[in-house]
Amino acid sequence: MVTSNVSVVKKETFVSGLGIMIGAEFLKLRKRQMTWVLLSILVGIIVLVNLLLLAISKVKTPGTGIGAGNIAALLGLQSAVPFSFSMMASFGTVLAIILTASSMGGEYNWKTIRPALVSSESRFKFIVAKLVSLGVLILIGMLIAVIAGFIMGLITTGLGGNAYSFSFLTGSYVWMQFLQYWRTFYVIMPFALLGFMMAIVGRSAMPGIATGIGVVFLEAIITTFMTAAGGWIAKVPAYLLNANVTAITALNKLPGRFGGGGGGTDTTIPSLTHAFVILGLYSIIFLVFSFYLFRKRDVTG
Amino acid sequence: MTINGGTQVAPGAQGDVILRTIGLSKSFGKLEAVKNLSIELRRGEVFGFLGPNGAGKSTTVGMILGLIAPTAGSVELFGVKQDGHRWAALRRIGAIIEEPAFYPYLSGWDNLAVLAKSIGDIPKSKITEVLERVTLLDRAKDQYGHYSMGMKQRLGIASTLLRDPELIILDEPTNGLDPAGTKEIRDLIPKLAHESRAVLLCSHLLHEVEMVCDHVAIVKQGIVIANSPIKELLSHGNLLQIRVNDVEKATIILRGISWVKSIKKEDDYLVLDIPSERSAEVNMALVQKGIMVSELVNRTSSLESVFLQLTGGTSGD
Repeated sequence: MVTSNVSVVKKETFVSGLGIMIGAEFLKLRKRQMTWVLLSILVGIIVLVNLLLLAISKVKTPGTGIGAGNIAALLGLQSAVPFSFSMMASFGTVLAIILTASSMGGEYNWKTIRPALVSSESRFKFIVAKLVSLGVLILIGMLIAVIAGFIMGLITTGLGGNAYSFSFLTGSYVWMQFLQYWRTFYVIMPFALLGFMMAIVGRSAMPGIATGIGVVFLEAIITTFMTAAGGWIAKVPAYLLNANVTAITALNKLPGRFGGGGGGTDTTIPSLTHAFVILGLYSIIFLVFSFYLFRKRDVTG
Repeated sequence: MTINGGTQVAPGAQGDVILRTIGLSKSFGKLEAVKNLSIELRRGEVFGFLGPNGAGKSTTVGMILGLIAPTAGSVELFGVKQDGHRWAALRRIGAIIEEPAFYPYLSGWDNLAVLAKSIGDIPKSKITEVLERVTLLDRAKDQYGHYSMGMKQRLGIASTLLRDPELIILDEPTNGLDPAGTKEIRDLIPKLAHESRAVLLCSHLLHEVEMVCDHVAIVKQGIVIANSPIKELLSHGNLLQIRVNDVEKATIILRGISWVKSIKKEDDYLVLDIPSERSAEVNMALVQKGIMVSELVNRTSSLESVFLQLTGGTSGD
């Protein structure tokens, strides 16, 4: 029998109500195995790439290539953090797409969208809570990946027989890495939001994952063709995602072509301002369309 | 017992209108899923919502909960006309829509915790209480994905009770339950209604609806074709089955009685459509004319027969 019969309806502010819903979203994400698997993959990739580069640096091969000097510099402690950001802008983007698309698409796949909306104060709050929790989780994942990258830098420095020097750890260096942390988050956002939006459009995780990852890889190929075509077509990639991502990740100032992001875009790199504006516009468009569609559309079986 | 400031409603008694739909319609392109649907659900009432597959029951529930926007008509919940997202009203409603839907990777407890957080103001003790009520407390820490269908149903019902709702919407609540579990839920539904609540029960198990519902609406192709108290619905077409020694002579005698609406021969029996209170008069009329009556049975129509008759013989949803 029901014993506690009095239902107290407290007056909630927008922020406190949202905070409660973000808590619910975090509980879902924290308890989901996929979250931890994706984080493990990100850390695993950083560990693996560092070890592979260390192995490559030990092999003396004829020819030019990227150059042993570049690889050695990359394995140094100073490059460990920016190199981690670089990998996050490429591999991390793919993982972020999977995370956001599956978080939203899963609600449709498991049909939990209906009870979730009936239990939520508004559709707007539901989607804001989801996006905030996903954003915070991506930021936490990035932080863990940076720590993993730095630890790997310590290991590869030791294994490479190099001396430990922390003289690079100046205030300006830390500030630069702080800025790059947010820049990396900024370049991941349009892709993550594209995955999120397509999960809403397709009412499933798969359309989000497929479209998001498809854009990451296909855009690089299309860009190559467009650049080869010349004329005004060659200018189009500057208004797509990857070329602008490359413009921002280039601020990592890594040696050779280890700048990361952009999926190997072979085109004229746009200016920084242009890149920030274009990526921001894409993020806003994906975000606004997600909100519009989610609020407007019927939730049917 | 007092719930949300209300009082316990005695079985059979009905209170204020909790849900009212007025001319509710919904079209998906050219398909008219629901047409001009008007129903009324009162506190203390168990309302059976019946119809064949695709009749528009789930669409109606979706419109009541604000998940689907009506093409025309309106929904009133707790006396207030609803428009758009209806949080104030939804806080007073617990619903299972079509089937229980939970996160498969979370335990039963965590699933309720997620819902409790979304709703707000739900203490942990309430989760324990509702799990206990549906006898799922001992399996609360197991992953939902590993639950049997019956356990999923129980968790679904538990989720509807989290906010002490005044209106409970249940869609096939005994689907997948074993006989003991079915009986438990069947016993629970009227109790819930009598605790100052109203229950809207969508079910294809007609005998179940017949046992627990006070009022029934039958919907076919989006149109309500019957909407009345269940006793009233079943009283239509009350039949009397008799066995006599001379069927031909008895038929002639009965044709002479004005209130015998129809006579049908079924094997060795005659089936008469008469007012239920006149069975004894049939017996007397036949005996007085020398016909021996060896059997006389009132054949009350079941909800199933009424349903099949009204829906044109299609099975329930």
